[in-house]
Amino acid sequence: MNLPPVAIAWFGAMILFGVGLYGLLVVRNLIKLVVALQILAKAAMLAFVAAGYAQQQMGLAQSMIALIIVADTVVAVIALALAVQVRRRYGTLDVRQLTALRG
Amino acid sequence: MVVHPFLWLILIPLASAPLVYLAGRLGGSAVARGLALLALLLTGAPLIITAQDLISQATLTVALGMVQLKFDGLSLLLAVVALGLGACASVFSIPYMAGELGEEKYYAALLGMIGFIIGLGCAADLFNLWVWFEAMAVSSYMLVAFYRDQPASLEAGVKYLVQSAVGSVLVLLGIAAVFGETGRLTLNHTTTATTGLLAAGALMTVGFGVKAALVPLHTWLPDAHAQAPSGISAMLSGVVIEAGLIALLRAISPVLGEDSTARFGQLLLLFAVLNMTLGNVLALKQTQVKRMLAFSSLGHVGYMVLGFGAAAYTGQLAAAQGSMFHLLTHGLMKGLAFLSAGALLYALYVANGTHGPLTVQDLNGASQRYPLVALTLSVAVLGLAGLPPLAGFMSKWQIFVGGVQADDPLLVVLVVFAALNSVLSLAYYAPLVNALYRRVPSEAVQHGKAVSWAMMAPLVILSALVVVLGVWPALVDGLSGPAARALLAGWQ
Amino acid sequence: MAALLIALAIALPWAGALAVWVAGDRRPRAQHGLAVFFAAAGGLCGLGLLGVPSSETVIRVPVGGVFGDFTFVPDGLGIFLAAIATVIGSMAVLFSVEYMKGEAQLGRYYAFVLLFIGAMAGLVLTSSLLLLFFFWEITALTSYALISFHNDDPKAVAGGIKALVITQLGGIGLLVGALVAYVNLGSYDIGLFLARSHSLPPQVLTVIAFGFLVAAAAKSAQVPFHTWLPDAMEAPTPVSALIHAATMVNAGVYVLARFSPAFEQVAGWSTAVALVGMVTALLAACMAVVTDDLKRVLAYSTVSQLGYMVFAIGAGSALAGSFHLLSHAVFKALLFLGAGAVIHAIGTRDMRQMGGLGRQMPWVSSMFLVGACALAGIPPMNGFWSKELVLETALGHGAWWGFVALLVGAGLTALYTARMVWSVFFGAPRAHHHAHDAGPAMRIPLVLLAFGTLTTWLLFGPFAHMLAEVLPGVHDESTLAFAVHVMTDPATWLAMGIVAGGLLLWHIRARLAALVGRLSLAAQVAAEGFGFETVNRFVTQAVRSTATALQRTQTGDLSWNAVGIVGALILVLILLAWGGIP
Repeated sequence: MNLPPVAIAWFGAMILFGVGLYGLLVVRNLIKLVVALQILAKAAMLAFVAAGYAQQQMGLAQSMIALIIVADTVVAVIALALAVQVRRRYGTLDVRQLTALRG
Repeated sequence: MVVHPFLWLILIPLASAPLVYLAGRLGGSAVARGLALLALLLTGAPLIITAQDLISQATLTVALGMVQLKFDGLSLLLAVVALGLGACASVFSIPYMAGELGEEKYYAALLGMIGFIIGLGCAADLFNLWVWFEAMAVSSYMLVAFYRDQPASLEAGVKYLVQSAVGSVLVLLGIAAVFGETGRLTLNHTTTATTGLLAAGALMTVGFGVKAALVPLHTWLPDAHAQAPSGISAMLSGVVIEAGLIALLRAISPVLGEDSTARFGQLLLLFAVLNMTLGNVLALKQTQVKRMLAFSSLGHVGYMVLGFGAAAYTGQLAAAQGSMFHLLTHGLMKGLAFLSAGALLYALYVANGTHGPLTVQDLNGASQRYPLVALTLSVAVLGLAGLPPLAGFMSKWQIFVGGVQADDPLLVVLVVFAALNSVLSLAYYAPLVNALYRRVPSEAVQHGKAVSWAMMAPLVILSALVVVLGVWPALVDGLSGPAARALLAGWQ
Repeated sequence: MAALLIALAIALPWAGALAVWVAGDRRPRAQHGLAVFFAAAGGLCGLGLLGVPSSETVIRVPVGGVFGDFTFVPDGLGIFLAAIATVIGSMAVLFSVEYMKGEAQLGRYYAFVLLFIGAMAGLVLTSSLLLLFFFWEITALTSYALISFHNDDPKAVAGGIKALVITQLGGIGLLVGALVAYVNLGSYDIGLFLARSHSLPPQVLTVIAFGFLVAAAAKSAQVPFHTWLPDAMEAPTPVSALIHAATMVNAGVYVLARFSPAFEQVAGWSTAVALVGMVTALLAACMAVVTDDLKRVLAYSTVSQLGYMVFAIGAGSALAGSFHLLSHAVFKALLFLGAGAVIHAIGTRDMRQMGGLGRQMPWVSSMFLVGACALAGIPPMNGFWSKELVLETALGHGAWWGFVALLVGAGLTALYTARMVWSVFFGAPRAHHHAHDAGPAMRIPLVLLAFGTLTTWLLFGPFAHMLAEVLPGVHDESTLAFAVHVMTDPATWLAMGIVAGGLLLWHIRARLAALVGRLSLAAQVAAEGFGFETVNRFVTQAVRSTATALQRTQTGDLSWNAVGIVGALILVLILLAWGGIP
């Protein structure tokens, strides 16, 4: 079997996406949740690689990915800062404890 | 190189955001406040120039290297709402946030958010749109979780961040799919949508839908909008979710073709029904004022999506224009509602050093001590309910005209459904107003502190606008018309 | 001239609302004075309008876009209702000076009353469907605010919200009708709509006609929307007199009369209107017989009399409906204000605690009696003449079933009127009250309205002339000819016999006790509102339980929220694939 590289990249992106979503749905720990978000973001980046390769526009794709990495890092930093605060106020990182607001 | 002054609309708030932060750090929070207000005032000048130039031209373009920025009617509408409401929220925040830890960060993030929203309106390609959107989101995360020693505020911030981040990833995947399928990222419609493009459309609809609070992606909204500082609640409900909606509507243009436009229209109509139902029904059960207003925002997103969906479904300009008008009036009314509720929250709780949620019970008899705030809050919620002579009546009317004009039985049924929802919303707005005018003041009102003029000034201005637009709706035809045409230009 | 008067009739009361609000609750005397001044000035404008009838558009403000032109036309139908709204409005305001003395939050009270007066004048004078709906909703808003005026009383709050929700629910009919008319004609102009209604597709006209009927039924408290009006009696009594008897509840009748020339061609519309009116007239009369709350009796009687008007329009005579509207507005305002004076004096609305008040309140009781005679249909009061005209319409247009039903209704009306008058003013006092008679601010409106009750029927000639120019099919007839033809009609004498029978029934009530005992079940059903209250409760309950069920979906659990996102993504993908994958 001889898969074209584009298909492999798409396939990888989908697997990463699935893993990230799975993590999002089942993980309780806030830090692990941030990791799941990171995996999801990596899926998106890989998808850009695939798209850029398919369209023969790797330069454009790379510059976009660079921006995504920056944005993604900023979000991760804020998320971790919040996680620190949560640990301080609640004494736990379990997101299922964070259900005061509902209904 | 001569660049059009609309660039200053984005540059002034964005450049002044770090300055405000530094000034606050070095010179104290009073300097930060003054500088922030000055920046917003200065931004008004390019706004006026740009608006005048837009009369003769449909779009203004600026190219910065590879990136292009386009300013059209929709950008103008978004800029006007963001800047106007942002200015009101900033003035309101002067007494509200005075003495809070990290006040300079607050103003810096608020300015940044305003700049990013204006930029989002000018984005000319998909990826650029995402960048602005993400920047706006990041600034709003900081503002939602501003009270970081409050557990409720932290909880809201965490949920908001995680859900928005997931939405953002979905958008990116959608953009990648469009890019991989067509090799271009421009915000123009296509001829025929392929499977890949449809999937991309789905990803982007859901991704931006998280930020626009489409049901069932809305779950973060009541938490975030209720827990944020009141000035920010006004911005989030009045501009940010609308910006998300505009981003959604612009982003799906590359996947709209002859066969898929109507299909996306139907999808939007479905979301409209879900939003109106869930928002209004759940608002009925709320006991906290800000949370009730947050749920009502879900319903109002439903009205807007109804108009936009009808426009996509049938190609009607009138429906889209009605939604644009409603976007504006909802910004005014919901901003007014949150600021008024915030003024009461401040007087009854914050000024007394507590962070208790403002419940409907607390409002009992508030009109006796705070007659003006009670009046503005009543104007806001009655306007949201769509009663004349207030702006909400006219904007809903315009959406309904657009819906019926399409001459499609489905849309007539949806218009009736939307009208039923308006009636249902009275069942939670009316008790709110009743409570305000009760004779026996609540415990909280009795111990309440005074509300300063800086808080009341924005309330008076917004109420006046809500009444004026309720009597003379055509005043803003010059905003809503070009905005609707600009949106549809990308679709057809 | 007409343009100025229209503008003033709307703007003066509204300016008054603002002035009273600005004056502030710390200066009640200024508030009373300002309110009376502006209301009376509005009343003068309303009367002045009667002198300049015209079917031309005298005010046209082009707003543009989908909002069309804001237009006003002072035609016969409009100016007579505007005159009722502003004149009775100023009497209610004058009455309030004494009735509301010493109440807190007068600013809110007067502001909403004046806002209402202006909006009501606008509602009947505008010729734009958009503005019609606009003013329609403002009257609903003011009605709600005034019913709930005593905000600390949960019954008042509930009554206000019920009134608001039910009338708004019906208002959707008007909304959809107006939108459909606009979309098909490209204009909101009512005159244009009436002129071109023949060219509209039949199904479009049907939607509009029945939409308007639903709205009118809700506003005029017709079956099945009638349940809000009795609960609206928590409002201060001058408000009940003005809004819930003399003016706002007539808006539905007005809309039906205004549009009946266009809707008569719609199959089944006239019959439906007549049926709604007839059923309402009968059911409400039954409920009035078994109610013990003085204001609720009057409320049911209002519903019943509105049924007469609606029936008349359905039977084909907008003139009879409008004429009865005029009579009813005057005598029912009189009755409500009289009842207000009684309630103000003794502090209860329960008729079982009244009795024998006639000797203590001679002024009020004699004026009330005039109004009661008109309600019962006893000559020469205005109520007699207009009711006979309605009955004659029923017979003349071949609706004999309606005639029979309305005759029974007339008998019931006489019965409950006799019961009400007797329990309040005659017989032995059932509770110890120190009642004082009405003061001057109450007496002036009472006397003026009593005078009107005795005389407005003399205006039949000019009234018919005025309406003949607006409504096709209305014959110009002099008052004398009208009086002669009513008095020579055998139906009149039959009706008078029935009314006498109703009065007699009250007289011999003791001997009928056994029969009444057997009818107690029926009385219970009537007191429960013939099951319509159950429907209301069911709907409210259904919405509440839906809300509770949906509330469980908002768990606050982040993983569950993520399920929402993933689920939505799957749903959207499925839905987009539904139409076929390209």
